Amino acid sequence: MGMIKKIINWSRLKSPWILHFNTGACNACDIEIIAALTPRYDLERFGVILKGTPRHADVLVCSGPVTRQIEDRLIRIYEQMAEPKFVVAVGTCACTGGVFGGCYNVKGGINSAIPVSAYIPGCPASPKAIIDGVVKLLKSLEESETKAAPAK
Amino acid sequence: MLASLIYILIFPGFAFLGVFGLFAEFFDRKLYARLQNRVGPPWFQPFADFIKLLGKEEIVPCDANPAMFTLVPVIALSTVVAAFLYIPLWNTTSLLSFNGDIIVILYLLTIPTLAFFIGGWYSSSLFARIGSVRAVTQLFAYEVPLFIGILSAALLANTWSLSEIMTFYNKSPVLALFNILGFGVSLIALLGKLEKVPFDIPEAETEIVAGAFTEYSGKFLALLRLTLDVEMVAGAALLAAVFLPFGLGANPVIGFIFFIAKVLFVIALITLLRTVFARLRIDQMISFCWKRMVPVAILQLLICLILKGVIQR
Repeated sequence: MGMIKKIINWSRLKSPWILHFNTGACNACDIEIIAALTPRYDLERFGVILKGTPRHADVLVCSGPVTRQIEDRLIRIYEQMAEPKFVVAVGTCACTGGVFGGCYNVKGGINSAIPVSAYIPGCPASPKAIIDGVVKLLKSLEESETKAAPAK
Repeated sequence: MLASLIYILIFPGFAFLGVFGLFAEFFDRKLYARLQNRVGPPWFQPFADFIKLLGKEEIVPCDANPAMFTLVPVIALSTVVAAFLYIPLWNTTSLLSFNGDIIVILYLLTIPTLAFFIGGWYSSSLFARIGSVRAVTQLFAYEVPLFIGILSAALLANTWSLSEIMTFYNKSPVLALFNILGFGVSLIALLGKLEKVPFDIPEAETEIVAGAFTEYSGKFLALLRLTLDVEMVAGAALLAAVFLPFGLGANPVIGFIFFIAKVLFVIALITLLRTVFARLRIDQMISFCWKRMVPVAILQLLICLILKGVIQR
């Protein structure tokens, strides 16, 4: 059983498929996320593929503060994803609400609506920072799994 | 009994085809990346994707028909694996062979498309329904040139059995050169069957998210992706058997290496085409198939008929 779990874990770390969702960003972070997916950075080296549907994706990459309009949709998309799933907040607004925090139409950061696994600050976060953030998320998963393994 | 089980499960069956299909997907993706000046995925990428999808939760939408939704990936995969049993590997005899097996292979390779249609239709998602209707619409366009292209080669060999076709062309390889038009037509039609880029209209990810696969997740998606990979290998092996009948009858090891090389050559041509072209619209695709490819296929048929008359005299 342990061996099978290890193999599944390894495969999860090696093929994170992402879904990009704009929760009300000014588009700067979206452009940087798209830039990170271009041939110049070539994220397919790490098995990252951009998917169009939440059913296929493992990592939800959100940009921008959660507006009151988008909140229901964000939760719905999160619920449509298959387990195990992770959320990455890209940009200062996605982390805390940024300059829009406390606005009448803004609820706050992504974590005010759904649980977030990794935060990538920056206004906008550069492609290198985004890749670094995703790598750190995967590394933390690997460590938590290896730590959890002896306990079971 | 034991031998049949080994045939079905291990050697030309699920295990070999699964591994070879996933390797073919890696070859396709790596070559695609290299042609785009990228580094591309590592060799274990398709295996990691497959295992990850097997380990994920599978969701059946509440509007979907659960029986059809879950049965479709299994039916699609088993038909393509069954089709492969009729294709000869290193010599001219296949595992199962009778007069007319080439028709059976072509029909077995059609069933996955219909399965994708049914699965997409019963998943009750708008994107999946649009994708599945497009898949069937384009089926009517590429199937005719594919059939004419492959069957005209069979016509020249004067048999409907794939083994006898290979024996015929192996005896007189010069005649295989006359089938080059049919090879081109069948290769382009195969792109439509595999839903690769110029004809990836059914799963156009920038328009209709993932087409018929939109609602599939977890191991159903893993099986559907494996189906497309195995279909790519089976289609390439069929084209290699009919149009590239070289290097047969040698000892099994060399013959097997030749077989792998031929299949990878056909896949490399498919990858090259999908790198060079951009996606067509559905109406452009259908008019291209009926107005350009069918006339070329009929020309191939005429060449074969005339050649046959000349040979018999």
